[in-house]
Amino acid sequence: MTVAGTARAHAARILRIARWETFRTASVVDRRTAIVGLVALLLAGGVAGATATTGGVAIDRGIYRVGVAADSPYHAPVADSTALAAHPPDRTAFERGRLDVLVRDGEIHARDTRKGQAALGAFRDAVQRHNARLMSQEENRSAAFPVTVTLLYTTQNRAIVDGGTDGGGGGSGGSSGGASGAGGDASGTTPAGDGSMAVPDVGGTGLFATRTTGSPADISPPFPFASLVLAFAFFVPMNFVIQPYGSTILNERINRRGELLLVTPASPSDIVAGKTLPYFGLLVAVTALIAAAIGGGVVSVGAVVPLAALFLAATFVGAMFARSFKELTFVTVTVSVFLTTYAFVPAIFSNVTPIALISPLTLVVRDLQGTGVTAAQYAFSTGPIYLSAAVLFLLGVGVYREEDMFTQRPVPLKFLDALDSRISGPWSMALLSALSIPFVFVAELLAIALFFVLPVSVSVPPLLFVVAAVEEVAKSLPVYAGFEKERFPRLPRTALVLGGLSGLGFFLGEKLTAVVQLVGLPELALGRAAFAPAGVGPTAAVALLLAPLALHAGTTSISALGASRGRNWYAGALVVATGVHAAYNFAVVTALG
Amino acid sequence: MGDPRLTIARRELQVLRSEKTIVLALLIQLFIAAFSSFLVVGLVSLYDPGSVEGYTVDAAVTGDARDELLAVARETEGLDAREFSSAAAATDAFHRGRADVVLDATTRDGRLAVTVTAPDSNVRTTVVVVTVRDLLQTLERVERRQRADSLTATPLDLPPPATTSPYFGFTYTVLIPLLLFLPVFISGSIAVDSVTEEFERGTLELLRVAPVSMVDIVDGKVWAAAALAPGQAALWVALLELNGTHVANAAPLLALVGGLALFVVALGTTVALFAPDRRSAQFLYSVGILVGFGGAALVPFNPVNVVARLAIGSAGTTALVAVGGYVALAAAAYVGLRRLVPRATLP
Repeated sequence: MTVAGTARAHAARILRIARWETFRTASVVDRRTAIVGLVALLLAGGVAGATATTGGVAIDRGIYRVGVAADSPYHAPVADSTALAAHPPDRTAFERGRLDVLVRDGEIHARDTRKGQAALGAFRDAVQRHNARLMSQEENRSAAFPVTVTLLYTTQNRAIVDGGTDGGGGGSGGSSGGASGAGGDASGTTPAGDGSMAVPDVGGTGLFATRTTGSPADISPPFPFASLVLAFAFFVPMNFVIQPYGSTILNERINRRGELLLVTPASPSDIVAGKTLPYFGLLVAVTALIAAAIGGGVVSVGAVVPLAALFLAATFVGAMFARSFKELTFVTVTVSVFLTTYAFVPAIFSNVTPIALISPLTLVVRDLQGTGVTAAQYAFSTGPIYLSAAVLFLLGVGVYREEDMFTQRPVPLKFLDALDSRISGPWSMALLSALSIPFVFVAELLAIALFFVLPVSVSVPPLLFVVAAVEEVAKSLPVYAGFEKERFPRLPRTALVLGGLSGLGFFLGEKLTAVVQLVGLPELALGRAAFAPAGVGPTAAVALLLAPLALHAGTTSISALGASRGRNWYAGALVVATGVHAAYNFAVVTALG
Repeated sequence: MGDPRLTIARRELQVLRSEKTIVLALLIQLFIAAFSSFLVVGLVSLYDPGSVEGYTVDAAVTGDARDELLAVARETEGLDAREFSSAAAATDAFHRGRADVVLDATTRDGRLAVTVTAPDSNVRTTVVVVTVRDLLQTLERVERRQRADSLTATPLDLPPPATTSPYFGFTYTVLIPLLLFLPVFISGSIAVDSVTEEFERGTLELLRVAPVSMVDIVDGKVWAAAALAPGQAALWVALLELNGTHVANAAPLLALVGGLALFVVALGTTVALFAPDRRSAQFLYSVGILVGFGGAALVPFNPVNVVARLAIGSAGTTALVAVGGYVALAAAAYVGLRRLVPRATLP
């Protein structure tokens, strides 16, 4: 058979399995379930719509109690505020702590507790809003709003003075007002700290508006809130689709049902591809629909599809490892929580720093704002995601065989099995180590995003330690799997060879981090801290090139020596290796810094 | 041997323990809590200058009405204003990095028109904008007072500024409800999985040859799943107390969590008994939860709000009555489930 012929045969088998999977899913859902499901979905839509239109009942309603007489001028602001509840101004109640703020005899008292102070802050904001409403009804506009503000954003450039107000586009449109009449939407433009969730107020302006005009209360910092909320729409279907997908994979493993498929000419990868295809297709279709609905383009779809693939890949591996539906549920929840975090945390900083590009959602936000995305940015954002998804499928397919599918073993052991299935000799260590790079990359980027908000002096040491720990674990796990599965003799010499090879593989793979430089992440102090030790530093190139190789080979040999003697030794050696690695990182950062 | 229902419940919990599922569940909750706290800390430190202690915004003030602005700026914290006689000089200082923001104030039609030029897209932009907004709001109040004769209403005097942290409200309205409700949803999911798993593996047959009724089996599973949530909630409340966050009304809170857990578990079990397989059951359960909690957000005294009021210590009698209502609702759902069990189509 020719190569093309073989490929055709594979494709035919994959399609047949995909068709079968679709048909079986459709037939198992009887009419009653379908109707109930449809009704429930319609209800969900209705509820979402009703909540969106009415705003729902604020979760912070009535959490602070203010004692204020009904005839006091301060009663109206309290009554209008959701978080404040008006009570009679009873002095004893205030002293006993049943009131947080007391307005009486022209004086305002707040209890000297954290809650009392928080209540006072909310009260102050409520009065500020009340004043704005009061003034918006005044005839004399210039007396009511004596100050008008125009806010411009300009790139701070030591070169020429540029008008700097072009670009952007896609302003939210709701940002002007105030001075001209309406007074703005008072609740949407109050100072930070009053929002119902106590996160800073983010309504009003937003989408990269480069020019806003209004009264002082109308200006607010740029924050891609609307785009972020829209981007979240892409995640909802993913969480629903991975549920049945995980079920169908785990179903194959229950009562040896998958054996029938395994004895057919279809290879495990054909089966997995066929079973995954309908769900992936569904997600791509839904993503495209959502993109069309919220005004995203090809970039949005292109940014979300790798995420969808990673959701499926992680669920697949989870379903291959899980022992029961309960365990699968937790694995699925872990997957979706972790991936959602990975996508969301960096995207918050979309308008602030290039660090946001870690997350593909930033591409969506930029696409929605019409800012544009370069090919390098796309590669940086989605590259690790594509690679991670591919490696996860590779690992999962490795255990898609009889001896692993139908046995009940704890998840960590299954994971070692999966690694072991990819080991065929000492050089496999180098390969597996290099394949772990995307995960290391993802974990390190997430760590950067999480530490990003802390001052650099505080965040760099723990970051260096986390980076070292992640890398050491990634490099030594294949070696440990090899020893535990009795692939290699437990000899110190073997351990050194395996450790050295694993370090080499990791070193070569780590060259991928050169991609980082394309988008200027190293300009950021944190990016430099995490990636400079990788050896692409600007100075003393040769020394810096060889030093990390020696480091990786050395530290992995330490953990390999431990791994050859059993689990506890491995854990101990891992700590030592991480310490050495972190010390090296710190030395490099200090020397370069 | 005691009550068979207790035996079944114990077996359910043992399985959870042996699979270390519960550890994973707690880790997930911790992660979600840390994640949401991080979101707020991140947002606040990026978008609220109050938390960036000791950072001063250097403002270049220019324009013919700069004196009014300078007078107010002297009393604004976190802002250092310098006077420039020409707009060009101010802009130059801005581009040389000597000033973070340019404020150009002119008088136009009896108003002060201030043009704010802020740096584009960097971490300080937010701090700059929010500090300038505070300055301008003070300026607005001062100017308004001077024009008070032309106004029909007088703005109220502002209450004194509070020394409060934006995290305070967040802790009680988001974090604590999140930590208390996640175990509830997880319990429901466990119930769905536990029942469908017996179907799929065919192990229900084995249970049914034992001298227990179907209602007993369901009882055991419901009890085990529903007992998990208040346990975890109690753990979170204790941890928060250790961490210095006082949670008031712990007993009503745990009663509410227990009631909601029973309700959600009864719902999940009912769905699992009547749905054809796990995929449909989990789907219907998730959508049901979405509808239930989404819909509840429309009514006053929804569970999240009740938790917030109880935990922060602002619970009136109404909040306690609401807790009683939720517990009664759960009891009704549980009784309903027991009635429905004999009608389930068992494989």
